[in-house]
Amino acid sequence: MFRNARTRLILITVLISALSTALVLGVLYISANQIIERETRRVVNAEIIGLSEEYSRAGVLGLAGAIERREQRLPDRAAVYLLTDNFGNKIAGNLGAWPPTVEAGGGWIEIDLIRTDTGRSVPIAAASLRLPGGERLLVGRDATGQTRFDRALWDAALLAAGAALVLSLVSGWLLTRLVFSRVGEVADTARTIVSGDLTRRIPLRGTDDEFDQLAGTLNNMLGRIEMLVTSLRTATDSLAHDLRSPLTRLGEHLHQLEDGTLPEDARAAAAQRAEAEVTHILRILTDMTEISRAEAGIGRAEFDQVEIDELLRDAHDLYHPVAEDAGIALTVSGTASPITGHRALLSQVLSNLIENSLRFAPEGSEIALQVTDTDKHVSITVEDQGPGVPEADLRRIAEPFVTGDQSRTAAHSGLGLALASAVAGMHDGALTLENRLNGPGLRATVTLSRDG
Amino acid sequence: MSRRLLIVEDDADTQSFVANGFTQAGFTVQTADDGRDGLFLGTSGDFDCLILDRMLPGLDGLAVVRSLRAAGVETPALMLTALSAVDERVKGLRAGADDYLVKPFSFEELHARVEALLRRPQEREETTELTIKDLTMDLSRRKVRRSGREISLTPREFQILEFFMRRPNRVISRTMLLEGVWDYHFDPQTNIVDVHISKLRRQIDGDDDTTLIETVRGAGYMMSDGS
Repeated sequence: MFRNARTRLILITVLISALSTALVLGVLYISANQIIERETRRVVNAEIIGLSEEYSRAGVLGLAGAIERREQRLPDRAAVYLLTDNFGNKIAGNLGAWPPTVEAGGGWIEIDLIRTDTGRSVPIAAASLRLPGGERLLVGRDATGQTRFDRALWDAALLAAGAALVLSLVSGWLLTRLVFSRVGEVADTARTIVSGDLTRRIPLRGTDDEFDQLAGTLNNMLGRIEMLVTSLRTATDSLAHDLRSPLTRLGEHLHQLEDGTLPEDARAAAAQRAEAEVTHILRILTDMTEISRAEAGIGRAEFDQVEIDELLRDAHDLYHPVAEDAGIALTVSGTASPITGHRALLSQVLSNLIENSLRFAPEGSEIALQVTDTDKHVSITVEDQGPGVPEADLRRIAEPFVTGDQSRTAAHSGLGLALASAVAGMHDGALTLENRLNGPGLRATVTLSRDG
Repeated sequence: MSRRLLIVEDDADTQSFVANGFTQAGFTVQTADDGRDGLFLGTSGDFDCLILDRMLPGLDGLAVVRSLRAAGVETPALMLTALSAVDERVKGLRAGADDYLVKPFSFEELHARVEALLRRPQEREETTELTIKDLTMDLSRRKVRRSGREISLTPREFQILEFFMRRPNRVISRTMLLEGVWDYHFDPQTNIVDVHISKLRRQIDGDDDTTLIETVRGAGYMMSDGS
């Protein structure tokens, strides 16, 4: 039963309230007792002083007379007096004999005396004194009042403890019900999700309290997880699908290599094609890894100051001879101040976009690289004069494994635009694809947030 | 004087493929199957070069290199990695590796890179002029002459040529050029390097029949000084 968190919580509540009740009553008891005791002592002391004065003024007889008068004033025998001579023989007072345990002049004592009228034992707080003539004086007060107070306080304590117990049980139950019903909702949702339904979310109560905020945060997390799992599933599915074709072709090439009847040059060609397929497969795997890492935000630790315009000029420098050979003019323009970003990935993205354009651009056309700098963003634009992309496909082609045309070259994985999109996302930006306004052509814009 | 090489690789096939290749190339090869043995052997400092796999049982390649560098062992190290992500490549270099190579790789590429690491100290020499055959490069005045004829090059062409001339008789792969000249740490999908090389060849060879920058099949390019 104690393993149950709810029982444990209620028990803790009860324990704490019991302890605090006990503490309050204890402090009350001690301080009230001190007041009563102080009062008793004050009265007894005053009597002793009064009686001593009487002794000095009127001697033993005067003192005995004063004692008798006082006795009569307190008929309920709440006060105790005893005056004896040097040898302990009683001279006056309402006490039978000097108690054997009491030494005269020994200060404060607590004694239990039997009352002759009721036969009951009564606690007495007393002080004693040896008078100058050798006589002994004992003055005491009934301390029953204190005992009665003790008993009343004990009764009150029991009552208070009972009430506190009931109250704390109720409050503990209410408190835990509040907490555990919300915890239960979270646990229920988690169980449904574990059993496979990733779309489930924790219900919100609209109270905007800490529980709602927690549920909201968890829901956001669940949304992100669902998104990642879905994209991972899609990626794995398409990866499996996309690897099937080159692997099948690779199998065919290898089969040809084994065929001894084929002429030497046909086998050499098959070997070359097999190698190309392997390159293609490796390319797909590399790009896929890069994309999933960028989507997961891995690599943010490598962010650094990147001069995008310099990146563009480097890419231009690297690619313009290839473009020139293909009869394409590669141009570069624009300036931008540095941003925080992943240099290596950004240059790979730029290179992917340029290669994508080079694949489709016709001879005699132009590919324009441009950087634009606004307050919050730096944008990289790669615009070609190729055939462009049908409007219906514009959104789709940046998804992994979709290319505008179906004739893929061996070295081209079909993941270039997907990587550009993932890397832009990593920089809190986006990849936008649109057709050129004046004539056919694709215009790819990677917007990067200045803060990285 | 045989050059000593330590290969730390847990995959038996890769290990014997690399070890056999280097033994045939005249190296004295020692192997280790895991990071701990690799670190132990590597600390001895008896090697001219280390080849380490990135993923190793016990202690991974990054940790081995980091520990070796912390212990003051400066033996050049090349990291082999199946993780081709750009990040991972950079991480290896940061840990103290001198070079990396992504699996799968050709032996020629690995050999070229190891040779490059072994000759690295020579690069630090202060030279003002480089010569290969009848081609001379004046580094301070940034002028190139072939048989006395001045050749005008763009700054980038000059940079590529300098990269070759500082590494005579050594195979330079396309990836090495991309890293060394353009600081590109990934493999582009087009033959951009080949185009740059052929442009450079047209510049320095002129009408000459013999090209100074030879193509090494399956590996890259090389400039030999004929010695």
